[in-house]
Amino acid sequence: MHDRRCKRIFAMLSEYLDGDLPVKNCSELERHLKGCEPCIAYLQSLKDTMEVCRRYRVVKAPPPSRKVREALRLALR
Amino acid sequence: MNAQIEQAIEILRSGSPRDVEHALETLQGVVYGFGMKVCGSHEDAQDTAQETLIRLARQLKDFPDARALSVWLYKVAKSQCLMSRRKSKFAPTQMLSLDDLMPKDAIASPDGPKSWEVTPEEIVLNHELRSRLEDAILALPKHYRLVLILRDMEQLDTREVAEVMGISEDTAKMRLHRARVFVRNALAGYHRQGAEGGRESHA
Repeated sequence: MHDRRCKRIFAMLSEYLDGDLPVKNCSELERHLKGCEPCIAYLQSLKDTMEVCRRYRVVKAPPPSRKVREALRLALR
Repeated sequence: MNAQIEQAIEILRSGSPRDVEHALETLQGVVYGFGMKVCGSHEDAQDTAQETLIRLARQLKDFPDARALSVWLYKVAKSQCLMSRRKSKFAPTQMLSLDDLMPKDAIASPDGPKSWEVTPEEIVLNHELRSRLEDAILALPKHYRLVLILRDMEQLDTREVAEVMGISEDTAKMRLHRARVFVRNALAGYHRQGAEGGRESHA
């Protein structure tokens, strides 16, 4: 890390990306980002990580089991 | 919350037999997928799906709305995963410290810090990185892993994640950030190799 400001900003990045960061902290973070390219790059890579997670899919699920179908049949009677 | 889940639950409660089959397969896919992400094993994911959907069938008529039932569905699936037979070969139980997760090297590349060299779309299509992502998620302590999966993969909002996990929203946010940084750092190694002489930038 560069300095204590980077460390403080580092702790806020997820809330910033989620739009949950309070306005005051948001302004502080954006001011810092204007002068800190490594923090900008880290923020972008964190955003990319979120996008990768969002796009991830488990390949294929097996069909529902016989027990599940039976439970549902009983529930819908 | 995933609208697909709510819609499938509504159909189960009132739909035609043909629609019910489709809705059931949708829910099977969601819960099995969740189980695979959390447990990393087909057997545990299948157990999770079976037990969760049997309990769902019994509760179908007792919940006031599909959204409440969707949150409940994840609660049950989460509990099933926590009781999974197989313990992850990776999963440690310790807390993640933000200080430990923060990259220590402050060296930016001569041309300035780089973002990733491949796009998220490419990463998901790339088998090696897909496998790396799965390993990184399974290497997370379970309570961090669950929060990351619920928020960033299942797309629940923070309030819903907190509700499923039985924790405060602030705790959910704290765990989420540490989990994201952990996974980001695990994937960054790939990019260091992939980038042209690229070195890890700091934050």
